[in-house]
Amino acid sequence: MMLTSSHAGTAEPTAIDLRKWGGRILSIGVWILPLIWIDPTTYATLTIAGLTMGVLLFLTASGLTVIFGLMDVLNLAHGAFFAWGAYAGFSFLNILSRKGWLDMATLGQSMGNLALVLLLALLVGGVLGLLLERVIIRKTYGNHLKQILITMGAALVMNEIIKIFWGPNDEALLVPAAFQDSWVFFNILVTKFRGVAILVGVLVYIGIQLVLQKTKLGIIVRAGVENKEIVQVMGYNIQRIFSGVFATGAALAAVGGVMFSIFNGHIYPSMGDENLIFALIVVIIGGMGSVTGSFLGALMVGLAFNYVAFLVPKLALGVNIMIMAIILLIRPRGLMGRS
Amino acid sequence: MTNLNPVQTERLQERRNRYNRPTFIIQLVFIAVLLTIPFFFSSFRLIDVVVKVMIFTVFVASYDLLLGYGGLLSLGHSMFFGIGAYSLALVIYHAKTPAWTHFLLATGISLALSISMALVIAFFSLRVKALFFAMMTLALAEFADILAIQWYDLTKAEDGISFGLPGIFNVSWSAKSIMGAEINGRLMTYYFILVVSVILFIIMLRFIRSPVGRVLQAVRDNEPRATALGYKTFHYQIFAIVFGSSIASLAGILYAMWLRYVNPGSVLSTPIMLDVLLMVIIGGLGTLYGSIIGASFIKIAEAWLPDLQKVAQELLPNVVFAQRLAERWILYFGILFILVVFFFPRGFVGTARDIIKSRKTVAKPVEVPHD
Repeated sequence: MMLTSSHAGTAEPTAIDLRKWGGRILSIGVWILPLIWIDPTTYATLTIAGLTMGVLLFLTASGLTVIFGLMDVLNLAHGAFFAWGAYAGFSFLNILSRKGWLDMATLGQSMGNLALVLLLALLVGGVLGLLLERVIIRKTYGNHLKQILITMGAALVMNEIIKIFWGPNDEALLVPAAFQDSWVFFNILVTKFRGVAILVGVLVYIGIQLVLQKTKLGIIVRAGVENKEIVQVMGYNIQRIFSGVFATGAALAAVGGVMFSIFNGHIYPSMGDENLIFALIVVIIGGMGSVTGSFLGALMVGLAFNYVAFLVPKLALGVNIMIMAIILLIRPRGLMGRS
Repeated sequence: MTNLNPVQTERLQERRNRYNRPTFIIQLVFIAVLLTIPFFFSSFRLIDVVVKVMIFTVFVASYDLLLGYGGLLSLGHSMFFGIGAYSLALVIYHAKTPAWTHFLLATGISLALSISMALVIAFFSLRVKALFFAMMTLALAEFADILAIQWYDLTKAEDGISFGLPGIFNVSWSAKSIMGAEINGRLMTYYFILVVSVILFIIMLRFIRSPVGRVLQAVRDNEPRATALGYKTFHYQIFAIVFGSSIASLAGILYAMWLRYVNPGSVLSTPIMLDVLLMVIIGGLGTLYGSIIGASFIKIAEAWLPDLQKVAQELLPNVVFAQRLAERWILYFGILFILVVFFFPRGFVGTARDIIKSRKTVAKPVEVPHD
């Protein structure tokens, strides 16, 4: 461990510059490159779809990366929070539809419905996260192997409980009426939900950044990422901060679950695990512990997925791994990762 | 004799006594039981479970090499299993008529593939951090699963590939019956798998006692110290990954031989990885013999737990919730898994060894005053 860090310190400055710029060029290139093969209108549609997917991935990845950075916990149960959020949202949407609220056609009313569902998902994710942190994860701090195993077991149990309550099959989701329409700008069709999703994602990103950069809590969390012991010495209850961050991360994942299931239109029990893989790739690309990094990484993965799915459909799912490999070759710690 | 150091003398003694120890006799009896099972029990279900236990013992032991002895948490070990299984299936399937050379070809292909994959993973992920290794392997294993599902022309995706085996392993092959038991292709496959898995297990036992294996354990216990002693820890870890992955792919070949059918769900997907994790944790990390206990427990439970569902249906025909509870037996594995990780982190064999050891140390102080 010590040896590797000293190696990184003594690397030549030109090499560092190359690595820095390589990452930047790659992250811009992924936007521009597809224009060679795709005509601009399709490109715009794909870009919007990619951005939507990117911000949705970010919702899950942000919690994962902050939990990792602050608590040094690789939380493999994160996908389960995602799935729980989605299923809670599904049930709630069913209730709303029985009341007839989903058929109200104005965008404002649909947004209101969505806000209600998201609030519920936040609550479900937060409570579950708090429970898991208090009951299980708290006892395993400092032991990576145990943590990974425990969170994996917890994910298994939570997914099975989903199957008990909601059944193991695919279920179609009821979507608020206005989200099915779309706006048209210059021949480009934008589904309203995509616009809303991008808005929510960007708002969440800005919100996280504001909290982390501008508030005292954010300063404590950032200090905790740097050095836990000093924060404790300063008299802050790091345990409570851990719980809070974990619950927030879980809540964000649950929100991501609701948004993603509305985006896809259906839900299934293994959706959490699938999303966890995406989120892990995003976190690796972005650099573990960096929120901005995972935002960039999520957009990159979302965009690349959509472009490649259009050009070479069979490669779509593999392209993320390819991006991850390239990024790791250039910057072994990810885009924004620090040694 | 004079220039032997204490460690060497101890090892020499160990070598001399290796055929007199009780464990050796237990091993012999165990193998003898496995050899005679097909003659006493004709139930296919039982034989099927026994074979799966043997194959998974090898597979889990190879995982134990990485996790228990190397301290490397891979979440993509099922990928190597799948590589092995798919290489045999694909070679035979695409060659149309099965032949003996296909075994060699499949072994070669799977070894080459798994060694190169293991090297790639090691170089990418070990450079940074141990946790990275877990994430990378998980992502890559998922990718392999996706690849097998998407690449229909090669793998037939979810439909899977069924294939025949050459010569005496073929289902249609049969000879005269000996001692009441029919000698057929299935039985020959059983013995082949038995022999190969015993050999592989012995190789692994040998490996952990070899100088390389001992250094590997030193790296696990205290990496800075091993580095300070002049060992290139990175090389040893790479070797462990490559070795464990190769054995896993050989186990995959055996599994494909037994099933004569592969699809992503049966050889490549995450549930298999979960199974292996359960087995290795329940059996005991870093014990190697624990893999036998773990694999037996899970495979036997998997074979007979689904019956629980029928029982639930008969007893409570109208309660859907109870039926679902019985149906989801993986849930109980998950809970058991968490409990074992919490309360018996050393697993069955590890805990048993601890108890034996503590008895011995308790017994000693009693003897000392008499002397």
